[in-house]
Amino acid sequence: MHLRTSPWSVTLWLLAALLVLFVAGPLLRLLLQASPASLGAAFSDRELVASIWLTIVTATSATALSLFLGVPLAYLLARVPFPGRRIVAGIVELPVVVPHPVAGIALLLFLGRQSAIGKGLGAMGLEFVNHVPGIVAGMLFVSAPIVVSAAREAFRSVDPKLERVARTLGDTGWTAFRQVTLPLAGRGIVAGGVLAWARSVSEFGSIVILTYNPKVASILIYDRFTLFGLPAAVPAAVVLLLIALAVFATVQLLAPDRAEHR
Amino acid sequence: MIRLEAVRVRVGDFVLEDISLAVPSGGYGLIIGPTGSGKTTLLEAIAGHEPLSEGRVILRDTDVTRASPEARRVGFVYQQYHLFPHLTVGENIGYGLRHAAPAVRAERVSELADSLGLLPLLPRTVRGLSGGEQQRIALARALAPRPTILLLDEPFAAVDPATRRVLRRELRTLHEREGITTLQVTHDFEDAMRLGDVVAVLAAGRIAQSGTPDSVFRYPNSAFVAEFIGTGTVLRGIVERIGESSPAERSDPGGNRFAARFLSNGLELEVVAEREGAAYAVIRPADLLLSRTAMPFPAPRNRFDAVVTRVERGSAVAAVHLDAGGNALVAAVMTTTAEELGLASGVPVIVAIKATAIHII
Repeated sequence: MHLRTSPWSVTLWLLAALLVLFVAGPLLRLLLQASPASLGAAFSDRELVASIWLTIVTATSATALSLFLGVPLAYLLARVPFPGRRIVAGIVELPVVVPHPVAGIALLLFLGRQSAIGKGLGAMGLEFVNHVPGIVAGMLFVSAPIVVSAAREAFRSVDPKLERVARTLGDTGWTAFRQVTLPLAGRGIVAGGVLAWARSVSEFGSIVILTYNPKVASILIYDRFTLFGLPAAVPAAVVLLLIALAVFATVQLLAPDRAEHR
Repeated sequence: MIRLEAVRVRVGDFVLEDISLAVPSGGYGLIIGPTGSGKTTLLEAIAGHEPLSEGRVILRDTDVTRASPEARRVGFVYQQYHLFPHLTVGENIGYGLRHAAPAVRAERVSELADSLGLLPLLPRTVRGLSGGEQQRIALARALAPRPTILLLDEPFAAVDPATRRVLRRELRTLHEREGITTLQVTHDFEDAMRLGDVVAVLAAGRIAQSGTPDSVFRYPNSAFVAEFIGTGTVLRGIVERIGESSPAERSDPGGNRFAARFLSNGLELEVVAEREGAAYAVIRPADLLLSRTAMPFPAPRNRFDAVVTRVERGSAVAAVHLDAGGNALVAAVMTTTAEELGLASGVPVIVAIKATAIHII
């Protein structure tokens, strides 16, 4: 669209530029803050490297669980009319509006030793509070809605009649899903998975309550900032930002901005 | 063979009810009906995509009412083709043969692609193909596993008239060559006349009439059927018995038909009827004879004056729309005859029709 110079268009550009600057400015400032030497030091900081590995492993586990449990739910929500479908869809999206420390407290009550479920799982060797599974639980809680939402939209974009055609050509329901719907919805689901992974990496609020130790990167950065100040926190923050940028680029590659193609 | 016995299907608020229909082995059946009459739902119920709440579906003498779609082994072509967008044309056609030996699959794909003029397209993706090409691919894909039953959902709806004519011819050839029992959904009665052995007219989830296309066309059992299939003119009026016996009565002495008068909006027609009272008169366009002067027609019982309101010239036949005392009629005459008679809007004509050619319902 071509915008002619007018008070209206000038206002539009000005407001848009302000927001872009507000978002990009701090991130750029942070990147410029880190010198190559400090980044090198960060990568030889054992505690930081271990924390980043822990973050990557737990975020990947949470994303895998989100996909494993969320894709079937998304398919049901997109394709199968069942009683209470809207309620189920609403429940799954609740974590988006729940403040993350509140989510942490809720998870603590639900999975902690004082709850029947926590006790039962603990007896089976699955401890959440101050254990790695607690990190995965916190990440899963906040990232699952992203996967479900993305997968549901991806399934909705695939005409259900394609599966019906495949069934008449001899496919079982599962084969038709695997051969037709999944490849067509795959790009959207993977994009949702990558976003969920990024959301997991950035999670702080629920994990700090559920599993302060071992420390994921976001908690380690907070820890260093409160204990040693800004200079100690910056290199770790930059490393985490670089990871986030890499994920962002991946998402952009997987799901190009449709607005640019109009 | 396709046989439906008192089938009932519910999809949301829509209900298909009491559907009974039979298409013999190797036969070509057509379901015609307006949009929203349940045609596609009926095909999907036969294919196993929509569960039946009552009735039975029998395919090839086997009750498949509870069978899964893949177990029914029917070919299905949707109106919008629904080609798999992530596969090439060749992969689309060969989709149902994925478990066959590669050589067998390749041979069958080539054979179908060749007969439908798709060979150059095989390596291409399906995006950007014309409606006719997509339709042929969808047809080839459905035929590839050699189904003995083929279900077609408005296969010609989304193509231009020229392509439609070609596709119709190709479909008839394929049907005869492969000997497939076919059931096609259409809203075009011309498909039924050109392709069908059996036709069922569907209205609001029920079969309004079924039979051979010719019998449905000649003897529609309701004003809805007559108007929907474009039989021609449908007049609403009253049937009154008259004393004298008609040629039909004389040839059908044991029947209950009698000579009668049909009165509609000032028009009085001699007809042969089975009952008195309110009725519809169905007049096929080809049965109306037109002349500019009072010439002797071969034994017509009815003659009346009319004015031409519009002439639609086709390549061979012209549809001549008439006004006879406020009654709208349509006649079909050869285009050359229309020209010879100088038929045009506002031209007065004399209309003649045999009493036996008027179908009273």
